[in-house]
Amino acid sequence: MNLVALAAKAGLAVMLLVAGSAKLADLASFAAAVRLLLTFRVPRGAVRAAALAVALTELVAGVASLVLPSAGWINPVVLALACGFVLVSGLGYLFHRGRSCRCFGALSNRRFDLAGIARSLAIAATAAVAMVRVPPAMTGVGPGSRTLLLASAAVVGLAAFSAARALGSARKLELETS
Amino acid sequence: MRIPVYLAVAQWALLLALGVLVILMFRQLGRHLTVTRSPAELGPAVGSPAAGFEYVTLAGPGVPGGVPGGGRDGGPGGTAQSFQPGGGQASLVAFVDPTCPACEELVTALNAADTDGELTGTRPLLMVSEPPSYLQISEPFRATRLPLGQVQADATLEAYRVSATPLLVAIDGAGIVRAAGPATRRGDVRAFVTASLLPAPDGGGLPVVSGARDGHNPDMMTAIAGEERSLARKGEAAGG
Repeated sequence: MNLVALAAKAGLAVMLLVAGSAKLADLASFAAAVRLLLTFRVPRGAVRAAALAVALTELVAGVASLVLPSAGWINPVVLALACGFVLVSGLGYLFHRGRSCRCFGALSNRRFDLAGIARSLAIAATAAVAMVRVPPAMTGVGPGSRTLLLASAAVVGLAAFSAARALGSARKLELETS
Repeated sequence: MRIPVYLAVAQWALLLALGVLVILMFRQLGRHLTVTRSPAELGPAVGSPAAGFEYVTLAGPGVPGGVPGGGRDGGPGGTAQSFQPGGGQASLVAFVDPTCPACEELVTALNAADTDGELTGTRPLLMVSEPPSYLQISEPFRATRLPLGQVQADATLEAYRVSATPLLVAIDGAGIVRAAGPATRRGDVRAFVTASLLPAPDGGGLPVVSGARDGHNPDMMTAIAGEERSLARKGEAAGG
């Protein structure tokens, strides 16, 4: 069970890292998705700032969860984020069914649909599993290991950013030529 | 030295994510390199006579047994065939390979066009150069009902200048190449079909069939436009 909890924690951390980086790569599209969920008039700058805040929150939560495995406060934060995903999926399904959620920026074409709600629920369930207490000896990583994890996280974040940029540009080009 | 369990688990998760991202980028790069190649490097020259070639028929799911090497359309497997362009019959030859993602997109588009009857009037032919067993790994190739053959000689690939796949070639009823270039989408297929059905230059004008401008491939549409301009110039010269 300890291993499952650790795998859930690491998996979610990487997912948040990739999702945050991909959203930052195409912030304008993600801002458009954020605007969908705002029922009142909001200045464009504020929507963009909100989108940036969501992307950075995911990125920071992912990196912190990955690099500081023994910090107990991060798990509830990740669970709260996952519950937020469920709420957003539900609202999106109710009011904007079939529209792209840009959950992973240009990396995927995930939409507000029933499968999206199921995915969000699975993420929340995984976050709940990651809350299980594990012996400190299993999560004890020293400064050297932390640096290694941080460097690996930076590489994965950069790869996600680059991939999202490349896919986003290709889709825009396709739209322009069609 | 003992590695902490969490470190091992986290590194595996990161490695997995990195692998997925690299595959995504690799696919995108491959698609970009094949689809954006200029017509000058790929495909036979528009207006030139298309070359005939030999090929061996391959199997698909519609054939009893459905194994590569068997025949299609109920015919015997692995039979040698000859493709002769012209003879009053327009042709659409697609050079595709099952391991190429952009080729899968083209075969999917061709299958859909065939199902909707959009290939009527033209003779479609899918040509692969990879081993027939590779067909099983690709769903569009397994599902296709279109005639499928394996190229038998490198000379064929050289004659058609198949430096990358996918390559779609529209040949008119007189055996003249009317359009050639990369294609992946339904709109591209429609435009190539239209190009293959254009009347022969000696036949007079060039009526634009409805939907002829629906193509999405700018390279290919440029080729068609160039051909039309060239024919228009010939018409003007003949007219005085």
